[in-house]
Amino acid sequence: MKDKEKNIENLFGNLKKGQPFRVPENYFETFPDRLNARMGNNKHRDNVKSLFVTLKPILAVAAILLLGMFLFYEPAKNYLMLDHGKIALNKSNKDLGDSTTAFPGALISNFSEEQFLSAYRDMDILESKTLTSDNLADYIAANYSYYEILANN
Amino acid sequence: MELNEKELIANLKSDKGREQAFQTLVKTYQERLYWHIRKIVINHDDTDDILQNVFIKVWKNVDGFREDSSLFTWLFRIATNESLSHLQKQRRHSVVSMTEISDYLSNSLESDVYFEGDDIQKKFQSAILQLPNKQRIVFNMKYFDEMKYEEISKVLKTSVGALKASYHFAVKKIEELLKEDYK
Repeated sequence: MKDKEKNIENLFGNLKKGQPFRVPENYFETFPDRLNARMGNNKHRDNVKSLFVTLKPILAVAAILLLGMFLFYEPAKNYLMLDHGKIALNKSNKDLGDSTTAFPGALISNFSEEQFLSAYRDMDILESKTLTSDNLADYIAANYSYYEILANN
Repeated sequence: MELNEKELIANLKSDKGREQAFQTLVKTYQERLYWHIRKIVINHDDTDDILQNVFIKVWKNVDGFREDSSLFTWLFRIATNESLSHLQKQRRHSVVSMTEISDYLSNSLESDVYFEGDDIQKKFQSAILQLPNKQRIVFNMKYFDEMKYEEISKVLKTSVGALKASYHFAVKKIEELLKEDYK
């Protein structure tokens, strides 16, 4: 390896190794003064940390919290909401009794046999592909009052 | 007078002897840093500007100098980074169409009033300027400044093995370019 390096050095043997560049006269003698002049009164140090450096720990904590929220809080919240939803639904079933907004299971249990058969017939009419205007008029007359019909028109 | 580096750093970090220590630092290292920068950016005025920036950075950041490396290594590292940043800026802000930074540097060399080498030296410098920036810096530090690979490794934060390979490729390329020139 040493020989190899020696060969490399000898390659440029004919060239002067000295600096081919030069500097203006008295450049190095005057450099400190020119540097001082440029620095002038701005010789304060960077003791005051940059805003980013100051905020770095706070930003790091915030980033960890955000990450934690996405990784743990959101899934946990969704899970809990699902659970609460079930509880709320069960509660509403009890409270609302035969209300139409109640859970379908509760609706069915509160239906009488006649109501169920009537609803079934209605559905039969609606789902029938041969729905006539007479069928429709019968359905409206049976299910809506005059007031509702007028109010919606 | 032998410069005690530890003492100098301590003074630079203190409020009391800071000003005096800084003057000593500038006088001690200005010439070596100047030539190091000059060989990277070629143009004297650019070198002067960068050298001032280096010392201003040192003044402002010396409190953060952890002394993991020697003061000389730290200074050379700042000077190298500043010079490379300058070349990057030149590439970005260049008005003329300049695809390679070597074209810009070759032009700087051609128009440099402070170049006093002969024709052979000019060809040699032109060949060096054809090298990629990092390879060129390694070549300059090894060939002209005669620095040890271990020292260069600390400044450039590159392994000794990679530096040796880099220097080897640089020499081969310069040799080829010079041979082409003399054909």
